[in-house]
Formats: sequence, C-alpha cells, structure tokens
Amino acid sequence: MPGTLPVAIENYIALSAVIFFVGVAGVMLRRNPLIMLMSIELMWNAANLLFLAFSKMWLNNAGHVFAFLVITVAAAEAAIGLAIVVTVFRSAKHVDVDEVNLLKG
Amino acid sequence: MGRARTTRTRLVCGNAVMHHLMGIDGHYPLLLAIWLLPLLGAVACWTFGPQLGRLAGPLGSACTGAAFVAALSSWGDAMQKTSAGLGAHQHLGSWFPGFDFGLLLDPLALIWALIITGVGFLIHVYSIGYMAGDRAFARFFAYMNFFVFAMLTLVLADDFVLLLIGWGLVGLASYFLIGFWFERPTAVAAARKAFVINVLGDVAILFAIFIMFARVGSVGFADVFANPHALGGWLFATCACLFIGAAAKSAQVPLHTWLPDAMEGPTPVSALIHAATMVTAGVYLIARCWPLWSASPDAQVLAGTVGALTAFLGAILGMAQWDIKRILAYSTMSQIGYMIMGVGVGAYEAGVAHFFTHAFFKAQLFLGSGLIIHALAGEQDVRKMGGLRTRMPFAFWAMLVGVLAIIGFPGLSGFFSKDAVIYGALEHGHPWMYAVGIATAGITAYYMFRMLFLTFWGHYRGDAVGGQEHQPGPVMTVPVALLIVPTALAGWLLFGPASWWKRFLNGQFSGETLPAPVVSELSTTFIVLAVVAVGVAIAYLRYAGDAAMKDSKERLEREGARMPSVLVQAFYVDTALNILFVKTSQAFGTVFGRWFDPQFIDGAVRETVISSRWLGHLFRSFQTGLVRAYALIMVLGAACFIAYYAFSAGVR
Repeated sequence: MPGTLPVAIENYIALSAVIFFVGVAGVMLRRNPLIMLMSIELMWNAANLLFLAFSKMWLNNAGHVFAFLVITVAAAEAAIGLAIVVTVFRSAKHVDVDEVNLLKG
Repeated sequence: MGRARTTRTRLVCGNAVMHHLMGIDGHYPLLLAIWLLPLLGAVACWTFGPQLGRLAGPLGSACTGAAFVAALSSWGDAMQKTSAGLGAHQHLGSWFPGFDFGLLLDPLALIWALIITGVGFLIHVYSIGYMAGDRAFARFFAYMNFFVFAMLTLVLADDFVLLLIGWGLVGLASYFLIGFWFERPTAVAAARKAFVINVLGDVAILFAIFIMFARVGSVGFADVFANPHALGGWLFATCACLFIGAAAKSAQVPLHTWLPDAMEGPTPVSALIHAATMVTAGVYLIARCWPLWSASPDAQVLAGTVGALTAFLGAILGMAQWDIKRILAYSTMSQIGYMIMGVGVGAYEAGVAHFFTHAFFKAQLFLGSGLIIHALAGEQDVRKMGGLRTRMPFAFWAMLVGVLAIIGFPGLSGFFSKDAVIYGALEHGHPWMYAVGIATAGITAYYMFRMLFLTFWGHYRGDAVGGQEHQPGPVMTVPVALLIVPTALAGWLLFGPASWWKRFLNGQFSGETLPAPVVSELSTTFIVLAVVAVGVAIAYLRYAGDAAMKDSKERLEREGARMPSVLVQAFYVDTALNILFVKTSQAFGTVFGRWFDPQFIDGAVRETVISSRWLGHLFRSFQTGLVRAYALIMVLGAACFIAYYAFSAGVR
C-alpha cells in the first residue's frame, strides 16, 4: 500500500457512491431546475472525492489535476445552466422543468 | 523484321512529303489573319448588330474578302518546299507538353481556304441583296462569318484534334444557318437533324483519334502519316471511323438525309454550306489522310463504294424532285459522291479537282436559283415556273452555264474534273465504279436539263406574282456574273499531262504509276459525252419538245401524281433510319419512362421517403420533452455501460 490514508479507501468509495446517488435522485425526482443543478454539483463532487482519495492513495498528483479540471467545468456548467434557467423563467414565467417541453417531438 | 523493312521502303516516297508537312519555323502571321478575320467579322456583327444595321453585310463581306486576299498573298509560301516542309506553318500552342498544335497552309489547305473565302466572299455580297428584307440581317452575317471561321479552322489545322474542333464548329454553324428562320418548325427540325447526324460523324472521328493516340502516340498529321502501318491492324478501323465522319459531313449514303432537308435555310446558305464548302469537308478529310487511305485497300473499297452509290442514288432522286433547291441538293449529294469516290479509290488529284470546279458551278447554280426564288417571292416549285427565259435572261444564262458545267459540256469546268474522277476509278482498278460513274453522268444530264427546261422553257405556270417578278439588283447579279468565269473556264487549269493543277498541288499526293487501263481516257470522254447527250435528249423530249409543251400544267400534275412512291420517299432511307434509330430509341425511352423509371427510380426514392418517415415517427416518440425522463434514460444508459464493463472485467 504506497500511500497512507486516515481511513480505509472503501469508506471514501462508499461515501462517494452515496453522494453520487443522492445527486442522481435529485436530478431525476426534483422539478426545480435550481435543485437539479445543485444535484449535478453533488455528482461532480462525488467524483472529485474519489479523484482525491485515489490520488492520495497512489501518491499520484494526476488526480489533483483532474479535480481542478472538474471544478472548472462544473463552474462553467453552472454558469450556463443558470443562464438557461433565467432565460426560461423570463419567457415562461415559471421554472418547472416538466412544463418546459417546447422540443417535444 | 524483313517484312517491316520492305513496307518502309515502299513508303519512303510518301514519308519524304509527309515529313515536310509540319513546318518547323512555325511563325507565319499571315496565316493568323486568314484564320481570325472571319471570326472578327462574326464577333463584330454579333456584338454590334443593332448599331451596324445595314452595314453588317458589307462588314461581314469585307472580313471574308480580306481573308481571301490574305490567302491569295500567302500563295507562294504555301507552295514552298523548304527543308522544314511543304507549305507555311504557324505554331499556336500545346494541348499538353510535347503535343503542339498549329495552323498549316499547304496546297491542299490553300485550295480549300481560297474556295471558302473566295466563293464565300461572293456569296456574302450576294446575301446583302438576298437578305435585304430580313429582320435579323446582322445575325445572318454573324453566322456566315462564324461558319467561314469554323471551316478555316477545319482545313488549316495541323493535327486531328484541332481539325475535330473545326469539324464540330462547322456543324454548329450549319445548325445556326439551317435554322436561321427559326419561326418555321420545319427549319428547326432540319437544323436539328443536320446537327445530330453531324455529331454522329464527330464521335466517329473522336474514336479515330483515340486509336491514333493509342497506337501512334500522337495526333499530329505529320506523325500519324509518317508511317501509317504503325496503326497495325487498326489501320482499317481508323479509316472507317474517319470515313463515318466524312460521310456524315458530306452527305454520303446512308447519312445523307439531312442534306435535302437542310434546304430550309436561306438560299445563300445552301450555296455556301451545302454546295461549295461544308459538305466537301469529307473530301478534304480523305484527301488529307491520303497516306492512310493509300495504305489500306479496304478503306479504298469502302470509300469508293459508298461514293459511287451516293453519286448514283443522289442522281436517281434528283430526277424525282419538284423543288428547285431539292433538285440542286440531290445533285450536290451526287457530285460529292463523285468526289468521295475519286479520293476514296486513290485518284486524289481528280477528286480534289472536282471539289474545286464543283464549288464554282454549284455555287453558281444555287445563287442562280436564288435569283429566281427571290424574283418569284419565295416560289421553289419548278411546276409553278416556266417561261422565265425571256423574263429573266440573266438568271437564264447564269443557270445555263452552271448546268452545262455540271453535266460536263466540253470545255466547261465539270467536263475535265468529272471525267478525271470517272477515269480515275477505272485507273485504280474499279471497273464497276467506272460504269456507275458514267451512268450517273447521263442521269445528271437528264435531271439538270429537266430543271432547266421546266424553269425557263414554255409558259409561266405559276401564280406567285402576276407577271411582276422583281428583278434582282447588281449586288446579287454581279457575284453570279463573277462566278460564271471560273464556272466556265476553271477546268482548263486541269487540262494536259503537265497541267497547272499538278504544278499547284506540288507533289502533295505522291502517286504510284499505274498500269494503263483497257479503256483510254479519250474514249472515256466520248462514252461519257454520248451518255450525257442521251440524257439531255430524253429531258428535251419529256419537258421541252412540242408534244410536251401542250397542256404542260396538267401533264406535270399527272406526272407528280404518278411519281413512284419509292422515289418520293427517297428509297425509304429516312423511314428506315426512323425505324432503326428514332423509333427504337423512342421505344426504349417508353419502356424506361413507363416502367423502369416509376418502378425503380421513383420506387427507390419513395421507399427512402417512407422509411425515413417511419424512422422519424419512431424516434419522435422518444422526444417526450420531459427533462427528467431524459435524465432517467441517461442514468440507465450509464448503468448499462458500467454493468457491461464490470461484468466483462469480472469475466476476465
């Protein structure tokens, strides 16, 4: 075992999985786009947690680099997502994602 | 090896001349002037037609006339035999490196260039009067000049590709001119027919060029003619392809049917294109390719047979026509048959000489008939003419000289050249062509005098103008008068063993000495004259004798009604071609139009549409517009991926 972690790696994985599925459930169940964006954020950070845990475990800084990349992309995604939410709200006067179905086939 | 060497020795004489063909110095600006002046006239008449107005005629004539003067002044250089070769040469450019093209003026090209520009000039001047009343006066001269340019491209080319370009342009110009009066549906149909048949010839020549390129590796005259046997087994195929081109352009059986129809064009056009120049392009092609023809006896038999057949059939059909221009059209076809027979069997000098004299007397005849048609307000039916001898004395004398020249009256031009062709056929060992030639001479005498008697003898039978035909002005009569001189006298240039003609050609065709045939040239002349006299006598008895003069109008109507349908239908060649090509193409088209296209082409398109629509219906059901549903599908998809990799990792 090259690196040392305060607790066993399984704990990190389990926590990450829990956070990830909380995020998934949030996206799938909630109708408020703000909550959905926050849930997506949860999923990003579940991934980040694993990156950092494994990085520490293998003493390999690539994981840190990827965590920064994820944070950057997540910020961009949040900016675009919020912009879409604002635009939808301006035109539809509500933000219920189930009612926003202009692209329905 | 040994055989190859013998072949080469036999050809050494031809080689010497052909190597000369392409001048090396390659700079002769006068040649460019001959070539481009008519183009200049065409562009000017076309671009500035409305501004030029009536000046378009003199301008177009001047350009052609200037080209004639340029051709005349390059005479000496065209005759010159330098180390570089026979004639003058102007380099123009390269198709691609190593394949140059340019203009070449040797005696053969010069004789054509002189006729094209000289007779062309007279016809241009004549047209100023003939077309005076036409709305599209400038367009007419633009087309005429363009035709002269195209024809010069054809005869001045020094390789087969440039020749083919000229060949195609001539067909295009002919299309323009035949369809000049495009308000007439018949003229449009005739123009289209002429063009299609001409293009058939173009394609055949293209194939000949492919063969030459593949076998010789060059399309320049000098290279191809230097050793015809380089074509090997393809020699006859090359000649046959070239001959199809020549036959299409020169109205040889069975590709002649466009020529009588082409008479829909204005009469000066018929004189320029369908008598003096264009239709003799086939004669030029064979004369130009004489080394190939001399090397291939099969090609000689082919061209000679078709030529003799055309001469004979054209004359037969000439007997059955009532339209003065169609009579002349069939006589043209027949005379070109003579020329093709001459150059075909190897009597090149005689064949080209017949072109030379024919250009004069046929242009004369057409322009003379134009005088009559113009005076009678467009009447072309000889049954509605008659008695014009006293009313149009000038037209009568012009036509008389032309007719006497074409039937070979002693001393006039046709006498020398036609006998030379007929005798040439015998000399080169084709007695049956000789016999056909003599018979044709008799028939020619009959139908030409039939036309002359019907037009000028007896009483006026028409109702076109109440005795007030308008006489042509000097702009029309002077060119005809000028043509009378060569029509009458040009033949003397061919006379004698050391004739001017032989000196003019200056060894262009290096002939072999042939054994003297059974019948001498002098007896041939007498035989032909006897046959011609019989033809004239029959024509006189039928159309000008005292018995024939009684109730001539009714008699002619009865004769027209009794005319055998095989002659009226011109041996059903048109019908046969119609069934063979037009009808079969139409049937083919119908099958494809009714069955293949709707079933297969449309079916494929329809199936594509139906299946696309079905797929669209399928996929649009996925597009619920429910974001959370998309999210669910994404998650499920991701789960599938993960499951797959987890599972396969587990298996491994």
